[in-house]
Amino acid sequence: MSEIHVFNRRAMATQFQVRIANEEKAYAQQAAQAAFALLDDLESKLSRFRANSEIAQIGELKVGEKLRLTEPVFACLNLARKMEFATRGAFSVTAAALRTQPTKPLWSLVDKEFTIRCDNGRLEFDLGAIGKGFALDRMATVLHEWSCSAYLLVAGGSSILAGEAPADSAGWSCGLGDDHSPRRHWLSQASLSGSGLAVKGKHIFDPRTGQPCSKHHRTWALADSAAESDALSTACMILEEPEIQEILRRNPAWLVFLNEEKTWQHLGSRTAPPLATSE
Amino acid sequence: MVKPTYTRREFLGTTAVAGAGLLLASCSPDSGQKPATSKGVLSNLNVALIGCGAEGQVLLESLLVIEGIKLVAIVDVWKYNRESNIRRIKAQGVEVNGYENYEDLLAHEKDLQAVVVATPDFWHAPITNACLKAGLHVYCEKMMSNTIEGARSMVQTMRETGKLLQIGHQRRSNPRYIFALNRLIHDAKICGRLTAAQAQWNRAVTEDFGWPKHSDMSAAELAKYGFKDMHQFRNWRWFKGLGGGPLSDLGAHQIDIFNWWLGSPAKTVMASGGVDYYQNHEWYDNAMVVYEYQLPHDSPIPTGIVRAFYQVQTTTSAGGGYFEMFMGDEGTIKMSENPSITKLYREDRAPAWDDLVAKNYLRTSATQPANDADKVDVRETAPLLQYDIPVTFAKKIHQPHLENFFNAIRGTAKLNCPADEAFASEYVIHKANEAIAARKILEISEEETKA
Repeated sequence: MSEIHVFNRRAMATQFQVRIANEEKAYAQQAAQAAFALLDDLESKLSRFRANSEIAQIGELKVGEKLRLTEPVFACLNLARKMEFATRGAFSVTAAALRTQPTKPLWSLVDKEFTIRCDNGRLEFDLGAIGKGFALDRMATVLHEWSCSAYLLVAGGSSILAGEAPADSAGWSCGLGDDHSPRRHWLSQASLSGSGLAVKGKHIFDPRTGQPCSKHHRTWALADSAAESDALSTACMILEEPEIQEILRRNPAWLVFLNEEKTWQHLGSRTAPPLATSE
Repeated sequence: MVKPTYTRREFLGTTAVAGAGLLLASCSPDSGQKPATSKGVLSNLNVALIGCGAEGQVLLESLLVIEGIKLVAIVDVWKYNRESNIRRIKAQGVEVNGYENYEDLLAHEKDLQAVVVATPDFWHAPITNACLKAGLHVYCEKMMSNTIEGARSMVQTMRETGKLLQIGHQRRSNPRYIFALNRLIHDAKICGRLTAAQAQWNRAVTEDFGWPKHSDMSAAELAKYGFKDMHQFRNWRWFKGLGGGPLSDLGAHQIDIFNWWLGSPAKTVMASGGVDYYQNHEWYDNAMVVYEYQLPHDSPIPTGIVRAFYQVQTTTSAGGGYFEMFMGDEGTIKMSENPSITKLYREDRAPAWDDLVAKNYLRTSATQPANDADKVDVRETAPLLQYDIPVTFAKKIHQPHLENFFNAIRGTAKLNCPADEAFASEYVIHKANEAIAARKILEISEEETKA
């Protein structure tokens, strides 16, 4: 197998990693630097902790006010809205807003103007369950511009996005759960995200009630886009299995793995990536 | 006009009824300024961006969100960059024309009112001068030029043409900086007599910029635009004759704050620095500079000597961050574009700040040193109480400065950083690089700093 070059960057309160295969190290390093530059830029726009970020600016909007957004923020919120619809509200960027507001804030995106409008409440957005995946998707675009097609992008261990496989390999070996997971798959041209209670405890809120909620021990979602897998894995944590099945029937490109204490199952009609190790 | 000065008590008296709301409103970047021209209001301005590199893209994002601004064209000599930016802009529903160079822009776009210049430094003077002479107002990124002569020519052209030339020291339009200077240092005099200043920008090691395969400019194209090769083109900031190194890239913003807040240019400079780490660069990768300032006689705060230390590092951990700190005998302000780094500290000998906190001119920091009355630890000097500035603004960092420029064109504001004022900062920054090479103290006369 060809040498894999690994580069790290701290961003979005976690560790990002770019792995590039089938390239010379110096070129791979420059490509990774370009991808990290984009990551830094996205963080400056999407972070609710940055005083001048667009997400912070959105939080200042009064009802009826609009704000023109940059393309990445508009695209990210557009995706967030689609994922909210697709998961029947189980994923939402205003998941925690009900803790501070009596009703769920409402907002609209105006396509022609590239603006967001505050329709009700205070738009306290938290892109924690989609922003990292979105960043991986955009970083992959940069790597393609640099003709680096064999890559693996990692966001804090919770989302990965795989490009083409390294030369002479069936894919990127990805474990479900941890580094020594007995269940590993060969991943290529797909994204895998995981959510669970092991690392951060009960940190997932049901956007529909504002209450902490978790129906499963751990969930993983497979999709073509990391933004989708990121949001979907979070949504699945608070969805019952029949609800997930229904969502997957409407979105056949998605696949979900559920891990209860000792049992595994995968839901959806998409073929699971080949196993890298026997179960 | 000399600004009226107040004692601390008089200041609080004048604002007691108005309260913080009016106080903050009065610190907007364009407040209290008279129109620069009598052209009347131009609601929509046609603007072009010349140079779409890293800084150009930051400005581009602000240009696309400012009301009344129509971006009609972008210019970049690198086809790859030009086309990818056009794609990004069009994805946001904005139709723009693309040009390889400013000559083509001026030849084809006949309905422009202004240009924003964000090219490598050595192109600033020729492009700015040509655009001013073509009848356009210009916003030019700092440094004004890679040479003092270039910067001086820009001021001269500005005067000859009567067009506006704003230099991109964006902190001069930042409401938090304006509030801190005008209200806290000048009016409330919270630092007392200023005696020292310190600023620094620390950056971690980064690799030189590369470029994607198949995106190279030809040797002829590179030579036409003044570059030896693609590496030099992508990393022009490190090369003499093209840029000014970290002192001008990063230091320019912060040394300009020294000049602005202290009310006059430095009188002496001594400095040390070198190319100690990056062997393929020409400009210093680190620099430490000491300036000596004399506060002007009409300063609103007690006059005296202020020594200012400046440090820029590109080979260290970024953990030191970037900030500008102004220290006096009664308090210290640590400013940064990043509000989370900004802090104010009161010396025990200063009058209490409780009244300032009560009126929301300051906010007590959430984290304070422990103050347990029933115990005392004899170890070291107790930490000072910390305060924050309550002013925030929900805009991109560069947006207020661009808005100030456009409002000045419309005749509703005065430039916050016209080229003739920026020249003084430009001059002392060039002198710091000169002091490193000379390894001695350089005297700077007031006359030298005037264009």
